[in-house]
Amino acid sequence: MTATLDRVADAPPITTRVHQSVGERIAPYAYIAPFFLIFAVFGLVPLLFTFYVALFDWNPIGEHVFVGFDNFTRLFGDPRFSNALWNTLSIWLLSTLPQLVLALGVAHLLNHARLRLAVFFRMSMLVPYITSVAATAIVFAQMFDRDYGLLNWLLGFAGIGPIDFKQSVWGSHLMIAVMVTWRWFGYTTLLYLASLQAIPRAIYEAAAVDGAGGWKQFRHISLPSLRPVIVFTIVTSTIGGLQIFTEPLLMSRSTTCGAIRQCQTLTLFLYEQAFGQFQFGYGAAIGVALFVLIILFAALNYVLSTRIRPGKS
Amino acid sequence: MKFRIATPAALLAAIALTATACGGGSGSTPSQPSGDGKSFEFWSFSGINQKASVDEYHKVNPNVQVKLTEVGGSTETAQALTTALAGGKVPDLVLIQGDDLPKFVQQPQNFYDLRQLGADKMKGDYLDWVMSQSTAKDGSIIGIPTDVGGMAIAYRTDLFKEAGLPTDREEVGKLWPTWDAFIETGKKYVEKTGKAFIDNAETSVFYQAVNQGPQKYYDPQGNVVYSTSPQVKTAFDLSLKAVAAGISAKQTSFTEGWSAGMGKGQFAVISAPSWLLGQIRRNAPDTKGKWDIAKIPGGAGNWGGSYLAIPKGAKNAKAAWDYISKMQSPQSQLTHFLDSGSLPTTPSVYQDPKLIAKKDEFFSDAPIGKIYTESLLGLKPFYIGPDSAAIGQEFLNAITSVEQGKGDPAKAWDSALTNIKTAIGK
Repeated sequence: MTATLDRVADAPPITTRVHQSVGERIAPYAYIAPFFLIFAVFGLVPLLFTFYVALFDWNPIGEHVFVGFDNFTRLFGDPRFSNALWNTLSIWLLSTLPQLVLALGVAHLLNHARLRLAVFFRMSMLVPYITSVAATAIVFAQMFDRDYGLLNWLLGFAGIGPIDFKQSVWGSHLMIAVMVTWRWFGYTTLLYLASLQAIPRAIYEAAAVDGAGGWKQFRHISLPSLRPVIVFTIVTSTIGGLQIFTEPLLMSRSTTCGAIRQCQTLTLFLYEQAFGQFQFGYGAAIGVALFVLIILFAALNYVLSTRIRPGKS
Repeated sequence: MKFRIATPAALLAAIALTATACGGGSGSTPSQPSGDGKSFEFWSFSGINQKASVDEYHKVNPNVQVKLTEVGGSTETAQALTTALAGGKVPDLVLIQGDDLPKFVQQPQNFYDLRQLGADKMKGDYLDWVMSQSTAKDGSIIGIPTDVGGMAIAYRTDLFKEAGLPTDREEVGKLWPTWDAFIETGKKYVEKTGKAFIDNAETSVFYQAVNQGPQKYYDPQGNVVYSTSPQVKTAFDLSLKAVAAGISAKQTSFTEGWSAGMGKGQFAVISAPSWLLGQIRRNAPDTKGKWDIAKIPGGAGNWGGSYLAIPKGAKNAKAAWDYISKMQSPQSQLTHFLDSGSLPTTPSVYQDPKLIAKKDEFFSDAPIGKIYTESLLGLKPFYIGPDSAAIGQEFLNAITSVEQGKGDPAKAWDSALTNIKTAIGK
């Protein structure tokens, strides 16, 4: 009994034990703190600051006049805003859908067991992605040129007169969409491929023994297992698509993206207003509207992709 | 995806940050410019060869360190300056393009009033109307002009010969005393050759004609008058007339197609302010000697030009001012013109034999000094306001859309006015 008591008395002071456990409790937070601190400084504060600026008539080098929600009222009556919104959605649809379908098909081909030079083909998928977007834009702008472009030269052989891609609404959207697709489909392909590689090859072999052809294997084995990564790519490409900026700016060389704003996206409109016209308040209001749109689209994507499941065999 | 409403504390922090971030910019002018005069930082834009000026300055002042940064195009430089002014970390000296200047002149508290450094004594050296563009409402001078545009027409002598038109620059100038005569000449050219005459109607006709008169988008009191100014309507109608005449190659300026068309003879003339000559040289090096320069229809006018300014927060304003006063003197501007072709803003050198004798080999030895300075001398200055660039852009877009076959010429004027009203709110 006494021995036990003595041992208790000899034990290290209880405070140290408490101190250690506090440290242990704090440590995880300290480990993740850098991210949240950096997020707060470079993410949250600018975001809140944007909301704040949107309430002002804000000249960056002059007066800041509080105008309340005037910028938003003006925004909803501004035909340039609705134009930019439709342009953005149109370019996003034209670039995302073909990109994902193409990536799915190519990933399936690259996953084929008997593919020769598989590593070469897989790595070459990354080439468009690592090419500078500025260089890509220069090449594509030349290809789509009305008078001296490769595409119109080829169309000329087919007896189709030169198409002025840059000046028409659909032409310019198509041109930008092709560029976005070209740049991103390899990246998406590799994401899909990584997922496909995780599927045990034995399952495919078993299916083949049972008489399932390539299409059936794809439909019933590949597609269901790809579901999470497809959802991921849809969400990221939606966010990317709504924020598309560099491609239309470089292709058109102007923030209006053409004489009738035929390919001006929301971010280009934001940039034109804030940095071209120095209307930072109005630009911030566009930014807030864009933020809300992205939240809505992401939520919609999430809901749709959790409800819709590919059919099971 | 979860989105949490920010706590009031974070919001307060953001507001506090705003308050401190915007504290700079105001304050009284120090009587003495800052710095030890040993070094300064200089932001310029590319394509204007300020490096030549800096090297020149180095020869005379080897002890002064000049850190020259070419930020980008003129617009990017103005945007970078805006950000720098809002943030408080500014260069000591900055080059601002004429079209971007009004926005800065409206907010003179961001810059040194150069009168206090001695601009008062030199302002008589420069063209009055150029100087007045950098003079704020309170009388302070925020910029010293480095060059002006001056207008002329660059044309292809080989293509003119093929079309049976005269090739001598004097006789070519006589073909088009007015813009109507210019369009008629274009029609003749198109009939003969089947090729386009001008690169596009919006910059080669509208931008030139609208700059040739006493009142553009603003009246002298600074009120917007773009919708009633006869000069604007005339220029707009002229450009639509050029479109209807079918003389345009429909190549938007500064695009790949425009550059390519220049080298391939897709069009025979370009309206060329003095600073555009460099672009022709770069875009179409193989056409050397095939170009010449003639007078512009409608007489005098100006498009472009730049200014040097010292931001209020500059650490080395003293050195920056020394650079301005030495390198923008009439004699230095003349030297810079002879080296790089930027047209001086100092009329005292316009009669200088070296300027008059300056010939350009690329343009069939055209006397560019004489042609461009003459285009400035009869000029009627107009007021440039804070929204001039935005207004000009909307007019340009309206004409382009007609030219590209997307817009209705009958409705183009009205839609331009509507778009301007949406853009600038008046």
